[in-house]
Amino acid sequence: MLEKNTELHAKFWEIFNKQDRQKIDEFQTYMDKFAVNFNLYKDGNFIEQSLPFDVVPRIISTEEFAKIDKGLQQRVKALNLFLEDLYTDAKIVKDGIIPETFVKEAGGYLKEFVGFSPSQKIRAHINGIDLVKDSADDEWVILEDNLRVPSGASYPLSIRDTYRKIYPDFFENLKIDPIKDYPSMIAESMEYVNTGGIDVVLTPGRFNSAYYEHSYLAEKSGAHLVRPHELKVVDKKVYFKNYNGKLIRVGSIYRRTDDEFLDPKFFNPDSLIGVPGLVEAYLAGNVALMNAIGNGVADDKGIYYFVPKMIEYYLGEKPILKNAPTYLPYFEEDRKYIFDNMEKLVIKDVAEAGGYGVLFGHEMTALQIEDLKTIVKANPRRFIAQELIEFYDEKCYLNKELQNRKADFRAYVVAAEDIKVWQCGLTRYALEEGNYLVNSSQGGGFKDTWVMEL
Amino acid sequence: MSQLVTANVATNLYWLGRNLKRANQTLHKILKAYDLIIDVDRDAGVKLYKTFDIELKYDSAVDFLRQAILGEHRSNILEITANARESAIISRHRIDSEAFGEIIELHALFDSITKTDIEIDYKLIDKAHSLISEIWGAFAKREHTNKSDLFITMGRLVEEADFRLRFDKDETITATVIQEIDAIVQVLNEDSEPVKQTQSQSSDEDDLITVVNTKINQVIVE
Repeated sequence: MLEKNTELHAKFWEIFNKQDRQKIDEFQTYMDKFAVNFNLYKDGNFIEQSLPFDVVPRIISTEEFAKIDKGLQQRVKALNLFLEDLYTDAKIVKDGIIPETFVKEAGGYLKEFVGFSPSQKIRAHINGIDLVKDSADDEWVILEDNLRVPSGASYPLSIRDTYRKIYPDFFENLKIDPIKDYPSMIAESMEYVNTGGIDVVLTPGRFNSAYYEHSYLAEKSGAHLVRPHELKVVDKKVYFKNYNGKLIRVGSIYRRTDDEFLDPKFFNPDSLIGVPGLVEAYLAGNVALMNAIGNGVADDKGIYYFVPKMIEYYLGEKPILKNAPTYLPYFEEDRKYIFDNMEKLVIKDVAEAGGYGVLFGHEMTALQIEDLKTIVKANPRRFIAQELIEFYDEKCYLNKELQNRKADFRAYVVAAEDIKVWQCGLTRYALEEGNYLVNSSQGGGFKDTWVMEL
Repeated sequence: MSQLVTANVATNLYWLGRNLKRANQTLHKILKAYDLIIDVDRDAGVKLYKTFDIELKYDSAVDFLRQAILGEHRSNILEITANARESAIISRHRIDSEAFGEIIELHALFDSITKTDIEIDYKLIDKAHSLISEIWGAFAKREHTNKSDLFITMGRLVEEADFRLRFDKDETITATVIQEIDAIVQVLNEDSEPVKQTQSQSSDEDDLITVVNTKINQVIVE
């Protein structure tokens, strides 16, 4: 189902219909030329692959985005307070808002970091919050919080840059919010938490799936791109190894590596993409890590259920943006509801990501549902269930014709002294019509998001 | 802080300069040999590749182009441009974005002939030459040259010196190129000793290459 057309959409189509459609091919040429791609390993081979994209942007009015902006600021503020509280006083657990065992069983909870408070007490610096717009009530709904290493911001930046070159008419004639400030938002956050030294972006290396993005953001934010062995820890301080062998102190690290691979001395000893001694330097307060270690607990799909309660608990406010109706089989009452209604629910494995471990009840056989109930009963903490949200389709110009695809929206929220929401985001659309999975790992594509006013 | 460059990026910038210059000069030589093969000297291509210690076989002028560009030898143009592309990807945050795009396009140009039935002809080489000129132009247009650009320039000059020595070019100009390399080495490594005048004017190819390589190894510390 498509969202109702507005005057803003009409303005877009008026210009789009006058444009030379042949020039759409130039987008692909341009994206290929600037290697806007992601890497993957398939059958043991390294493959560089273009990410599918669409030239029809998602359009959000300035007024509508203002509400999203306010809601996301509120949410990320609460999530930061939650993480800081959880790893220090844990009042939210003591007050019984979230069951203790529920938190401690979260895969991303790291008890070794209890008692440690990072620079400026910020833990979730760069956040990717996934939303969809529900066609039932025309409201935005939060589906997921990504507070570890959310990726994808470079893609809308690249497509916007291309758009402006190929079809400048839109930007000359419409009031579209500029988006070039995202790298400076990151730089501002890095500077704010910097403990003294240079800012670096830590990439696992050239063969990482998001290397393009790491390189892009380092260049645009003015930070230095480094691989793990180009950092050295001496006396609990982190140094950048310059080409001439000189060591330069590092004050903040925007790391694009998961916790478990960050430091082989502390986490996985087999990690080849970690910096030995980094955690010790971090715990000594000598370097800031963006995002903080241990954030996985807050983007656990089970903890997501409690975010509206966190907002009320820490901020004394009603949530501006709502969660998708979610049930936890961990609670008996919820479990009963899930088992009675499984055929209409979406069941998610909290340990999975990227569209994996998502089961749609309406697509399952009776036997499969019974099997799933057995699995859920055996390990209720591992699953959540959500009502299926009929989120809007977006119009996409694919194979030279307009087609409808379900699309979500990843908003980027960056915390420094203030919390700011980027006036853009990553709109991801599904590979096939009617498919609810929009993740790039499921073959989905992306498109630009224009925040516009009349 | 723009002088901060990791050893890996510095090495890749250096090899980017070398491979681009190598592609540039080799293409120039290929085009000259191609012209001779047509109706003047059928062995012109054999002689050219002997200079690179490669035994090249072909049965026509067009086949010479194919062998030079795609042949199974270390100086094939596809591989040289693939290496330049790889270096550019690793160091893209340190190079001009237009130059980066042209480097990707340069490799794609040669890569495309492995995937289609496009005939290899002089137009392809002309197009490659134009792209390389645009890349050098993009590098040159930077308003404030910084140290990372010097690694590319150093690579370009080292490759030029190497070519000049292989093809017995004017020694005085070769000495000047080596002095330019020396000047860059001085900027990148303040502790470096300049090449002695007698060394830089030596006609012994091995001596000079050894001196240059020693200096470069002093600049980038792994």
